[in-house]
Amino acid sequence: MTLEQVFSASGTLAMIGWVVLIFAPRRWAWLNLVPQIVVPLALSVLYAGFILAYFADSGGGYGSLAEVRQLFSLDELLLAGWIHYLAFDLMVGGFLAGRMDRIGIQRIVQAPILFATFMFGPVGVLLAFGTEAVVRVATPRFAKA
Amino acid sequence: MTSTDLSTARAPSARLSLVLTGLSVGILVVSLAANTVDPRLLDGAPVWAKPVKFALSFVVLFATVAWLETRLSPRWRDGIVLTATLALMGTSLVAEMAYMMFQAAQGEPSHFNLSTPFHTFMYTVVMFVGALVLVVGIGIFGVVAACDRDARLEPGLRLGVVLGFGLSLVLTVIVAGYMGGQAGHHVGTPSADAGTLPLVGWSTEVGDLRPAHFLSLHAMQVLPLFGWLLDRRMPGHARKGIVLIAVIYCVATFAVFAGAVAGRPLIGM
Repeated sequence: MTLEQVFSASGTLAMIGWVVLIFAPRRWAWLNLVPQIVVPLALSVLYAGFILAYFADSGGGYGSLAEVRQLFSLDELLLAGWIHYLAFDLMVGGFLAGRMDRIGIQRIVQAPILFATFMFGPVGVLLAFGTEAVVRVATPRFAKA
Repeated sequence: MTSTDLSTARAPSARLSLVLTGLSVGILVVSLAANTVDPRLLDGAPVWAKPVKFALSFVVLFATVAWLETRLSPRWRDGIVLTATLALMGTSLVAEMAYMMFQAAQGEPSHFNLSTPFHTFMYTVVMFVGALVLVVGIGIFGVVAACDRDARLEPGLRLGVVLGFGLSLVLTVIVAGYMGGQAGHHVGTPSADAGTLPLVGWSTEVGDLRPAHFLSLHAMQVLPLFGWLLDRRMPGHARKGIVLIAVIYCVATFAVFAGAVAGRPLIGM
């Protein structure tokens, strides 16, 4: 398998997780496990393999931008870094979806927030928590009124 | 599993008006973050100034709607009319902000951008329909405030909501309708180092249609506020007072609008 093939396979895997998370019904626990556990774990295994095998070869590190650039100068580690994004963004998406479900945020509103998480991880996190904050603060007042 | 369990603990749906207020807050935070980092300018203004201003405006809009919902009777509040209205307004919010932020990231204008068939479609169809849905939605809430006999609205406050929401619809259709037919929000060509008012960025040199647009949109906050005030200070005359204030507000908006159309800045420097 070439690196490009691994890249494309891991992308497909992540995509399956996101499609389930954004569009599928949430009533079956086994289906929810796909985006929350199964796909992130599979991607984590892939990441662990690449990062542990190639970290030393790169001569890079975490100490400065220059070291990180050195790290990513190796295609195997660039791929590992990308898989890290895929795994963690999806896990965070599952985490946010659970929080939003518990305070009753509609799936139609969850969809753009989760899409933002899929595209730009932390941007979706900010949108989700901004939404949650207002709902949590204002709902008791609303119920009282 | 606790924090990640999607299938249990089905909460009753949160109020959509509150959810959309919250989403607008999130969009505001993200836009402010981009505004802090991004040095690019577009027509002399930071590229993220527009998403920031619109997000702030959406926060105020949906918070006002959420407040009104606390005063409406459950029959209207949970009915199909307002639920469908809010769903459409929410869709418009997402469409408008997504395109504005996408264009800001490109460093290109979103409104008045007819540079390609795609941009023309996004401005003249998507953004136009989105804006129309939003103001018509405001109008529908105004009508419901008039129809809902069981709403907890004192006379002045009720009339303030009805006229305020109604004027936001009518005045915005007039002002923004005119503005959309122009090539841009300026009347005249500002010089390269043109002065603008702080925060809002309105021209202090040439006519600028945005102040009138601002006034038209925010009638829905100003008039209910006066209604609430008059109910307390002049009960018995509150309704008459609100009608008078609504007339003054219209005249002021049209004066600001006419000044801009004639090419005069709101505040010249």
